[in-house]
Amino acid sequence: MGLTIASLIKKKAKMRVDLLNIYKSFGANDVLKDVNFNVQGGEICALIGENGAGKSTLMNILGGVHQPDQGQIVIDGKVVQFLTPADSLNAGIGFIHQELNLINDLNIYENMFIGRELTKSNGMLDRDTMIAQTAEIFDRLGLDIDPRTMVKDLDSSYKQVVEISRALLMKASIIIMDEPTSSLTVTEIQRVFNMMRTLREQNVGIVFISHKLNEVMQICDRYVVLRDGEIAGEGNIDEVHTGDLARMMVGHEIRVISLQREKEDREEALRVEALNDGHNFHNISFSVRKGEVLGITGLLGDGRSELFQSIFGAGTSYRGQVYLHGEPIRIINTTDAVEKGLAYLPRNRKENGIIKDMSVLENASVVIWPYISKFGFINTVAQTSFFDSQVKKLQIKLAHRNNLITSLSGGNQQKVVLAKWLSKEPSVLILDNPTQGVDVGAKEEIYDIILNLADEGVAVIVLSSEAQEIIRVCDRTLVMFHGHIQGELSSSEMNEHEIMRLATGLEEIQVR
Amino acid sequence: MANSAKTRFATAHNWFRSTWTENPLFSTGIALIVMIILQTLALGFDYPSFGVWFGTWTQNWINILRNNAAIGIVALGMTLVIISGGIDLSVGSMLVAVGAMLMMLIDTGPKGILLGLGLSGVPAYAVAILASLIMGAALGGLTGLLITAGKLPPFIATLGTMKIFRSVTQQFMTGYNPIVPKPFLQIASFSIGKQLLMPIIYWIILALIIHVIFVRTKFGRQVIAVGSNEKATKLSGVNVSSVKNRVYAIIGILVSLAAVLQVSRIGAMDYANAGSGYEMDAISAVIVGGTRMSGGKGSIIGTVLGTLIIAVMNNLLNLLGVPPFLREAFKGVIVIGAVLLQKKESLS
Repeated sequence: MGLTIASLIKKKAKMRVDLLNIYKSFGANDVLKDVNFNVQGGEICALIGENGAGKSTLMNILGGVHQPDQGQIVIDGKVVQFLTPADSLNAGIGFIHQELNLINDLNIYENMFIGRELTKSNGMLDRDTMIAQTAEIFDRLGLDIDPRTMVKDLDSSYKQVVEISRALLMKASIIIMDEPTSSLTVTEIQRVFNMMRTLREQNVGIVFISHKLNEVMQICDRYVVLRDGEIAGEGNIDEVHTGDLARMMVGHEIRVISLQREKEDREEALRVEALNDGHNFHNISFSVRKGEVLGITGLLGDGRSELFQSIFGAGTSYRGQVYLHGEPIRIINTTDAVEKGLAYLPRNRKENGIIKDMSVLENASVVIWPYISKFGFINTVAQTSFFDSQVKKLQIKLAHRNNLITSLSGGNQQKVVLAKWLSKEPSVLILDNPTQGVDVGAKEEIYDIILNLADEGVAVIVLSSEAQEIIRVCDRTLVMFHGHIQGELSSSEMNEHEIMRLATGLEEIQVR
Repeated sequence: MANSAKTRFATAHNWFRSTWTENPLFSTGIALIVMIILQTLALGFDYPSFGVWFGTWTQNWINILRNNAAIGIVALGMTLVIISGGIDLSVGSMLVAVGAMLMMLIDTGPKGILLGLGLSGVPAYAVAILASLIMGAALGGLTGLLITAGKLPPFIATLGTMKIFRSVTQQFMTGYNPIVPKPFLQIASFSIGKQLLMPIIYWIILALIIHVIFVRTKFGRQVIAVGSNEKATKLSGVNVSSVKNRVYAIIGILVSLAAVLQVSRIGAMDYANAGSGYEMDAISAVIVGGTRMSGGKGSIIGTVLGTLIIAVMNNLLNLLGVPPFLREAFKGVIVIGAVLLQKKESLS
């Protein structure tokens, strides 16, 4: 049994998949228009494009989730039809979704064999064989993990690795990875990349869906850019630069350099002294002035989100003192924070930002309801006029304000979440990962909004793990590492290398 | 010609389909209409004149509405609770607890509390009803605190209070049978044109009030927000605990109103059995009315329709002579069927 697994990975013949002239529409919305795409064993092909460009739909067709309206799927020269995800899997295509499909309360090997558990002749589970086969695959991939480890004890990169191993166990020759690095730290990303390289050597083909062009440059052999459901460009990675890819994605030039803003020293808006919650953050002191954009960056697990959620009254309790406009304040809950003029746009829009059962209008108004209500009744006229002015200011594209928030694209959803705060006219605006899951074009618009707000005198704090984002919009940045402020960089000192040096704890990062 | 009829049919079909999936009230409404047609057929047309038939039909309806007013009122509160992402199993027991206190207050026997204080007649009733409302709000608020401050799952918290409320009431009332004064019965039994319409009127008024609160007020909208995404709502500066506490206080108040109604209708209370099963009946009405069990979506109008669907079905089974033991099974079928229909909506 062990032998077959070994041979299965080692001697795999190169498989080739072609998607030919694919058309797909949902209702009146043409998502894919005559798209040709191919991938073969032994290569890593990047599939990039803005949100809504059709990447997911294309891969869902390959993964058997959707069926094309027109066009063919050809595997090694044979036309096939995938009516269900199982058909696709049986044909050797593994699809690893962005939201991982693992059960946290089971062991690794139980997860690997879920739904196809091996049993002994007496009907009991054959644990030993399952563990051995899992270990076999980990061995081939050069991983040192005990198959009996609980999945909940693994970090995100190893969960990714388990998913990939499961795909291999099911004899996948082509693996689709949908934004696998979006929740990983730098070291974790390298771990996944190493594994992808190993797979490539073993003739497995990988489709790598990503927004992060740096990663694409680092790991991929070939790229395919989708824009508005059509191929906007394809070729070999070593023939292009990130700028070229970005241009193909959006169809026009984008700015990648920072804007040196004219700054005048204004009075202090928020100052914190010696904040400490004994767990997530320690001895944090900083201040931010009116009209300033302060960046807070670091790697995953640096404690910045926890810090600002605590300041906003939604996190752990802490020791230390917060001053707002020079006055010492104590925020007891989020209602209190809003009343005092603080605003916090949370990370993970889907979980923390939007209320999916409510309309665009209501999502944009939830913060100001207490301020536009009389005897508890919402003044709908005021609500609508606040909304309309924000739609205009932030250029939110929407069909109708009473449609569900989920009908909007990621970028526009994020603008709505921003709008609900701006209606309250906060004096301190905290933005946690403001461009997460937002396409390149909308990203630029959000940066412009941030800079405009700062010009209007709002103190803006941008929390982000993307160094480029920090460099692009911030006047000054603090770099955090394991709950401590590791250093401060002025706009002239900011560069990716320096940020990464501080974020990794003042040690030189290994350059691969 | 045939072609245009075909397209017209297709358009109608599409409209029907999209309305059916997009508006849960539409499917609930149609289900109710079907029920009413079946019920009308079951009632028969074998009457000497249209007037007699219409009289019988109307009387039947008045009975249905009156008999379901109390459960209908409780279901209004249950709608808010379920939309906020919670559940309240304690309503039946709370009804008994509030009812017992109400009867002790207005008791005309030697142990009557208000009589002992020298209060009788309308002022006594007013005080007693006010005290009931306060008690309902307090018991509901207490449940809310268990859930928000005590961080208990609503199912567990209210399962506990359900046991406590009824058990303590039963023990407390052992060997004590308060006498409810006759005039108090007028609250439910005041007749309009020889018809006992008061319970129905209370139900309608309360449904309208709760509907307006739900649709038009900050609180009502926050209830949906909390049920749909508690984290995001909290991060938007909404005091989620306060919203939940108020939701449970409101269902407490509605339960106490149902208790007043029950006491004034019957003039007595069976502490072991009164209100038992109310929680499940109210939840059924809410679910059949298209409210999502996990919260974030639903309507008061839907719950009123849901209550009526179950009520009309009971009446229909009665008219058809289905044995009482079997009727509960039909209730089960209706609830399951309603959720299966909603499934289709969430899949599309």
